[in-house]
Amino acid sequence: MKTLFRAAAVAAVTALALTGCGGGGSTNSTNVAPTGEIKPREISWLLSRPADGAVINIMKKLADDYGKDHPGFKLNLITTPDRPSYIQKLETLASANKLPELFDTDATPFAQQLAKQGKMLDAEKLLKSLGLYDKYRPGALDYQRFDDGSLYMVPFQYELEYIWYNKALLAKAGVAVPKSLDDIPAMCTALRSAGITPIAIDGQDQWPLERYVAYQPFRTAGPDFVQKLKKGEAKFADAAGQKTANWMAELGKAKCFQDGFSAQGYSDAQNQFTSGQAAMYNIGTWELSSLATDKLNPAVRDDIDFFTLPTTSGSVTAANEFVSPSGIGMAVSAKTYDPLVSDFLKFALQKYPAEYAATGALSPTTDVDTTVPANATPLYRKALDQAKDLGSKQAMPWDTQLDPTTNGRLQQELVLLVQGEITPQQFTETMDSTIAQNAPKFFK
Amino acid sequence: MLPNRMLPNRSRTSVLVFLLPPLLLYGAAVLFPILQSLFLSFFSWNGISDMEFVGLENYLRMFTADDIFWRAFLNALLYLAICLVLQLGGALVVASLLTSLRRGRELIKTLYLLPAVISTVAIAFLFVRIYSLEPVGLLNQLLQWIGLGSLERPWLSDVNTVLAAVSTPEGWRFTGLYMLIIYAALLAVPKELEEAAVLDGASRWTLFTKIRFPYIRPVWITTTIMATTYGLRGFDIPYLMTNGGPGQSSELLTTYMYKTAFTSTDFGYASTISVFIVVECLLAVGLILFLLKRKADA
Repeated sequence: MKTLFRAAAVAAVTALALTGCGGGGSTNSTNVAPTGEIKPREISWLLSRPADGAVINIMKKLADDYGKDHPGFKLNLITTPDRPSYIQKLETLASANKLPELFDTDATPFAQQLAKQGKMLDAEKLLKSLGLYDKYRPGALDYQRFDDGSLYMVPFQYELEYIWYNKALLAKAGVAVPKSLDDIPAMCTALRSAGITPIAIDGQDQWPLERYVAYQPFRTAGPDFVQKLKKGEAKFADAAGQKTANWMAELGKAKCFQDGFSAQGYSDAQNQFTSGQAAMYNIGTWELSSLATDKLNPAVRDDIDFFTLPTTSGSVTAANEFVSPSGIGMAVSAKTYDPLVSDFLKFALQKYPAEYAATGALSPTTDVDTTVPANATPLYRKALDQAKDLGSKQAMPWDTQLDPTTNGRLQQELVLLVQGEITPQQFTETMDSTIAQNAPKFFK
Repeated sequence: MLPNRMLPNRSRTSVLVFLLPPLLLYGAAVLFPILQSLFLSFFSWNGISDMEFVGLENYLRMFTADDIFWRAFLNALLYLAICLVLQLGGALVVASLLTSLRRGRELIKTLYLLPAVISTVAIAFLFVRIYSLEPVGLLNQLLQWIGLGSLERPWLSDVNTVLAAVSTPEGWRFTGLYMLIIYAALLAVPKELEEAAVLDGASRWTLFTKIRFPYIRPVWITTTIMATTYGLRGFDIPYLMTNGGPGQSSELLTTYMYKTAFTSTDFGYASTISVFIVVECLLAVGLILFLLKRKADA
């Protein structure tokens, strides 16, 4: 059977065999400026980014440039774009104490444990020593921080998440852009009765649906809610938690998402929106090149617009505060940090923003201007300009916040809740007991 | 005389010498991981922290406090049942029909065997498309054409159909393989026995139950054991098609164990589940041997 299963078992055993268990050795996570000779060698970056994406292409080029002056230097980029597979790979390598020089991670509880064990370099100190710290957007750095405010990852992106919509379809159903999150269920009902799929969603990857559960608490209770929830200090049984559980159930009842969404993937969802079948689509600026250039289907090109996350009455966060992630961050392994890695990072991080902004993306720093591509629609500029006026709070995606077991269970239960298989009350009970069972192990 | 006396000894030694490397390999690749899992199942360990001995706590949690475990166990049994019916039942029917065919046997054999050689990932994606509702996949389209449009549904998102939907590709996939084994066994049934029975006026059914089936029983036992253990360890197709969802509707013990180990990084508890899977497979094989042997003796 089942080579996958076998391979997994073998990997597990290898991991177990390779490690004595834990213990990072005598590394120093705060010495960001090691002294000594720069000895060029091959270093690796384990990442989870698109194989031909801007970040990888630019870093490849910068590594080549650096290699010209430092013969023998090579940057090995090992990417696993599929996030769940990547996380498994990273965790297995971390268990085996075999982390490469550079590796990607979100500010997850697992990463925080690595940081606590001194396996990652203090990124705040690193950026400050390179004189780059003040150039980064505060929001881009905040996204990478752990709850205690410490910073261990360097951002390479800056994205804003919008709800894209099709003006023609909304007009056909006679509905307006929602003023409040609470307007959305009724809006879905109207769209459905006009024969339109209200929201296209990638259910297969699970994180897109998990975004929705974060919205109501972010508006009613602010960004603290999930920080408390994950530790068991707040509950789904609390007012903010009940609001989101009920709202998710209402979204389901109003048939907001396409039928059978849970088995549909990323491109299925995008196709539904860009082919004019679905009215709304919640995605970030990383899709600008497909949604705001002449690559977009001409039939819908003039009908597409976006709105930012609606507020609610009594909202404690402002309209210009929503999900604005700086993507998965890059961590520097403390164990293998030496003058070479330090020198290369200094070289690459200084040159990266200009190169990245030239590709039409938002840089995590403020010192460069994004070049709008020649084939862009006016929407492109509008989407970028939102970055100029943002509040100080941001909605964190819950999948980077919760412990992995709770996160997995939440993703499963959310589908059931939206499909109407369980009631908000059952959802609340299951999730609160799951958090109570798993959070203490991770956040002790 | 000397060579004759020497030969058995020499061959026994050489047999042992030749058997040793595969035995060692088997020990390292199969027995060692199982023992390691058994060892780990008494610990709480997330891969980066220190291992903590917890005694039987993991087992207690598995049997008394884990609703997903039981759900996954029942799902795995249902998955097994569907796979067995499709694989063994289907294989027996097709193999019996093949023996009565005069032409085109090779072609049909090849066609049935084909899915067994296609990559699992390709099969999973193929069936995701077949079951799809938006855009309409093959299955829903067929239902529409034959006037059963009311049965149309997103097969992989419906909690009532998803388990059957993920079991079917696995069953379909290996039907051809077992068909081939059973077909070979059926060919070995002596023709004169069958002819004698036909002369005595035996119906086709009697012929099958009294002559053919008893004759292929040893092969049948082997195929049943193969299919059962494969079914109990089923992982890739459900994992790729639904990742156990929606909710836990298509979660099997294997997918649950995998997630516990590699997503939750709860290696101790995952080992406990894997120990259960090993015991479950051994019990299943024992049960099959016991039942089929007893029948044969009766």
